[in-house]
Amino acid sequence: MSGGAAVLEIRGLTRRFGGLTAVDNFDVDVREGEIVSLVGPNGAGKTTVFNLISGVLRPTAGSVLLLGRELVRLPAHRITHQGVARTFQNIRVFPQLTVRENILLGTHHWTRSGMLGSVTFWPGTVRAERAAQAEVHTAIDLFRERLEARLEDPAFSLSYANRRRTEIARALAARPKLLLLDEPAAGMNPYERIEMAGLIRSMRDRGLTILLIEHHMPLVMEISDRVVVMDHGVKIAEGLPKEVHSNPRVVEAYLGRRAATA
Amino acid sequence: MSAQPARSEVTESSSSLRQFWHSGPAGWNRALTRARVLVPFFLAALAVPLVLQYVEDNSSWIGAQYWTLILATCAMYACLAVALNLVVGYAGLLNLGFIAFFGIGSYAYALVASDQIHQHYPLWAAVLVVSIVTLAFALLVGVPALRLRGDYLAIVTLAFGLIMRDVVLELDRPPVLAGHQVGPDGLNITGGTNGIHQVQPFNLPTSLPLLGPVPHYRMYYWIFVGFLALCIYFMLRWRSTRTGRAWVAIRDDELAARAMGVNTFKYRLLAFATSAVMAGIVGMINAAQIFNAFPSPNFDVQTTVMVFIMVILGGLGSLPGAILGAIAFTVPPFLLQQFVFYKYLVISIVLIAVMVFRPEGLLGTVSIRPRKTMGGTLELLTAESAVEASELPAVTDTEVADVEAAAGAIVEDPEWKL
Repeated sequence: MSGGAAVLEIRGLTRRFGGLTAVDNFDVDVREGEIVSLVGPNGAGKTTVFNLISGVLRPTAGSVLLLGRELVRLPAHRITHQGVARTFQNIRVFPQLTVRENILLGTHHWTRSGMLGSVTFWPGTVRAERAAQAEVHTAIDLFRERLEARLEDPAFSLSYANRRRTEIARALAARPKLLLLDEPAAGMNPYERIEMAGLIRSMRDRGLTILLIEHHMPLVMEISDRVVVMDHGVKIAEGLPKEVHSNPRVVEAYLGRRAATA
Repeated sequence: MSAQPARSEVTESSSSLRQFWHSGPAGWNRALTRARVLVPFFLAALAVPLVLQYVEDNSSWIGAQYWTLILATCAMYACLAVALNLVVGYAGLLNLGFIAFFGIGSYAYALVASDQIHQHYPLWAAVLVVSIVTLAFALLVGVPALRLRGDYLAIVTLAFGLIMRDVVLELDRPPVLAGHQVGPDGLNITGGTNGIHQVQPFNLPTSLPLLGPVPHYRMYYWIFVGFLALCIYFMLRWRSTRTGRAWVAIRDDELAARAMGVNTFKYRLLAFATSAVMAGIVGMINAAQIFNAFPSPNFDVQTTVMVFIMVILGGLGSLPGAILGAIAFTVPPFLLQQFVFYKYLVISIVLIAVMVFRPEGLLGTVSIRPRKTMGGTLELLTAESAVEASELPAVTDTEVADVEAAAGAIVEDPEWKL
């Protein structure tokens, strides 16, 4: 599993909020075609790492390389253009747009279509729109029976699980090299969680590299190639799922010192 | 959505009108913006002055010119409402200096089509000048102001509108900068409180084939309706392609829009500038229609508020709503002239009633509320915020265990019961 070239290399990533160091000298590599899970107790700094990679926050120090290109200091929309797409912990679909329009937003950064071209039916614009519409069908491939019937419905009318699916389809339509999934199975019932596990795997099988934050440990153990454990902004363990879950520091972080030594 | 059971009972007798009624505001907008509704609507609107003239010629009623002028005003406000709807309804930017761009457009045209500075440009050059001047002012305000968040944008644009009004009022004499007079004595650019008079109308034929002589008032009614049709066409195209999707996405969730690769500053600026240029061209048509450019009402905050009321009454983000709002606010005052003293009372009551019973406006799907989180200036709430229950059937615990075991995907590890 570890044969591919590094897609994401994070070195010495640090972010301070006043006196609080949310992420402290954090290193991680994600190689091509890997599913890497980022786990840790609440407040460990996992989502902050995502926000630093995707440009929502600026790091205090450190570097984030995507296929050798520095992402730090690029504005968020340029980072998407470099090949990073993400979903959010608290689902952020565009409520007033339809499911189709939501997914079309994913194609925004790689299509070229302007205001003048739009009103004059300029051939380039028409072609771009057609390519974007075709991408919707590719992106919902994994969710076809769930989303196809709802394509023209506004996103606010969707169920929780379907909003998640829409958000993931939107990220897929961005044709990312690296996909950041922030708790994709949160709030889902066991049945939907199994479906989500299969889905994440099939996305990897289609050539995506995935960095995942997830709280549901069985899911993490099942689908990850490697697991990175964070606590208080520091990486405390990294390795195969099996290795990590018997690591005493990890158990301590989750359960406290006494439980670990007992 | 809630009308679903009621509909099944009336399936046999359900007329298309009833279906239309049950489709809700989103459905109404979709139905009303179809080409087979809009094209007949605009053809009918173009024919109205001819019908009025015919009635006047064949009866004792007089008022064809009077009513055509009222409808021209109505069409003008509809254009402004559609332009404001772009910046507020689509992009979610609270532009309280909107009407200043209307005023700038009318003055820019007046300057190149009158004896004020002795310039008389042909129509195409005037359109170009007006577009460039309003665009320049829009960038002047927009580039710094659109980097601001929330209410600050509203404050900056409001200040811009007020400053422009004062600038226009003061520029009937040479400006004094840091104690030094700029320009020669007697320099009079804007005409101060008097405005600019004897603006020449567009150089258009006064007689058309088939229609015969076309009086000035009817020509300008047609120009306004034509420009409205053009604006509506532009809006519909933009809304259904990449640019419009990006605008609404920024309005709905700026952070997510940025995460999808939308350059939010660029798209807000595009919306702001496009709306400003549209308002500028409406101002130019207005100056040519009335042969004048006045500081009031062209720069009055009151006029901005008026257009805002039209857009909000009709429904933010709704094009048919913007037209409806413009009609509702320009035509009734003329129908009920004897009650003119109660005009603002009635308007206020109607507005309060709409805000209480339909806060999202007549045809809108979103309502305004101050934004709590980071982002644009307005948080637009969905009317039906209730989330549908999960579509999955309820599963019992034993079923879950069976399903998980059958799928073989996730095996509960006792050590990981965290």
